Amino acid sequence: MNPGFMKGKGLVVGTARGEALVSRMAFTFAHGVDPSTGVITDESSDIRGKNVKGKILFYPFGKGSTTASSWFLETVRLGNNPVAIVTEGIDLSAVTGSVMAKVMYGKEIPVIAGVARMAAARLLPGDTVSLDAAKGEVRAEA
Amino acid sequence: MLSGEMGEAKQFAMEIASKVGDAVGADQLVPIKSAHVLAHYSSLHEAGVEVLERFANSGGKFAVPTSVDPASIDLQHWRSFGIPEDYARQQFRLCDAYAKMGGMRCWTCVQYQVCNFPKQGDTVAWAESSAVVFANSVLGSRSNKITAGMDVACAVLGLTPRFGMLLDENRKAGVSFRLNLGALTDLDFRSIGFFIGRNSGTRVPALAGLPGSVTSDQIKHLGASAAAAGPVTMIHFPGITPGSRTLSEASSGEMVEEIEISRSCLEDVRADLNRMSELPDLVAFGVPHLSVSELGELARMLEGRRLRSGVRMHAYTSSQGYDMAERTGIIDAIERAGARVSHSTDAEISPLKALGFNTVLTNSAKLAEIVSSEGEIRVGYASQKEIIEKVTT
Repeated sequence: MNPGFMKGKGLVVGTARGEALVSRMAFTFAHGVDPSTGVITDESSDIRGKNVKGKILFYPFGKGSTTASSWFLETVRLGNNPVAIVTEGIDLSAVTGSVMAKVMYGKEIPVIAGVARMAAARLLPGDTVSLDAAKGEVRAEA
Repeated sequence: MLSGEMGEAKQFAMEIASKVGDAVGADQLVPIKSAHVLAHYSSLHEAGVEVLERFANSGGKFAVPTSVDPASIDLQHWRSFGIPEDYARQQFRLCDAYAKMGGMRCWTCVQYQVCNFPKQGDTVAWAESSAVVFANSVLGSRSNKITAGMDVACAVLGLTPRFGMLLDENRKAGVSFRLNLGALTDLDFRSIGFFIGRNSGTRVPALAGLPGSVTSDQIKHLGASAAAAGPVTMIHFPGITPGSRTLSEASSGEMVEEIEISRSCLEDVRADLNRMSELPDLVAFGVPHLSVSELGELARMLEGRRLRSGVRMHAYTSSQGYDMAERTGIIDAIERAGARVSHSTDAEISPLKALGFNTVLTNSAKLAEIVSSEGEIRVGYASQKEIIEKVTT
């Protein structure tokens, strides 16, 4: 199979295209992303200092506070949100934030789970990715 | 159910709950006995205010008894704690929307010690991670860790998606911790919980070997620390957790990995969380909230002592806990030592940095973990006794 192709399960439907931003560690928006800029501030994150805005954000699992959905939603309100989230395990905060982004601000931010971190780790910095959550498909563009 | 006949707020709630339920593979929405929601400005931000106001302004009412987590400010004494007016105003928007929907105004993370008492077997939808651990592990109720926004949707519907910890198969212990320690201090209970949270992965832990003298307050702090350190939503305490008289019952007879917790494990937790040794700007007790008896214990420990200059000490409790402690002279006793009791808010959701605190010393593993992950404030982690000896004369 094409090494740039990943298959998961769409949790919140939609399509997106953007630069991949990959964390190999559990991730949280709560106290971890500054909503006013989109910059990752979590001291323990391996992608601290990077910006989630406009990116397709990959991480294996969510962690931390149940308020993460609202931190995520605040990035949406301020226009500093990732355009899609791809995880290995289901992150309820990503799902909730994305569902609310649609009903509150009319923004579609697809969420896909079931993409192994090993597969995501093959993406290179700067790779452009497109995805279709209805099909659960994630593609790195050559 | 998505048709307009149910009213706008319920329709909005159903849109959120059904989509989240679908995403997590829930087969249906099931009735809940109570809800516990979040309404603090520091983490919900303007977006969270807009969500709650949308519910409240479209006629939303809580369908079941609903309690609320602490606010970002002491709702009574916020001015004397130096909270800026515009910050308070944002918090009061959340308070107003919450009150309009008919919620109990307890403003606490220990609602199960104050106003929200589900019984064994009840399904609830609670958002506070430490309270979820207590509900699943001690009360024998069933709750998932409900996310912000979803919490209010469940409360308005009186329903929650059936998945995760609502299902028997996900409640079985998958790893067992055993204590190999002598007498336990207040800090030990927090460190034990933190170690469990860090080392359980996605398995449900069991903990054997707690002394018979263990109190619900000690379990409260143990569970809160576990939930702060990892994705823990339940800990089986054989002999305490309903349905888990033994380890074998907790794991439904399956063999599970056993991990011993020794003194050196707790020292590692301490080394991880304790990142400073100088006198702090702020000492914080009560994440999660202190009970009245814990406030009484603090008052006894502070008797005849005086806080060193340059150090503040805040003890956090529920509004009800504050009232009772005030009537029984406990607040006066604590304040005589130069400390303050703050209610309806808590340290980890206060604007600590904006209030000028650059260093915090606490016996709360949860507070230490949250504050140090933000990186702006340095944290020390020590027992209540060690802290009092350090910061008072």
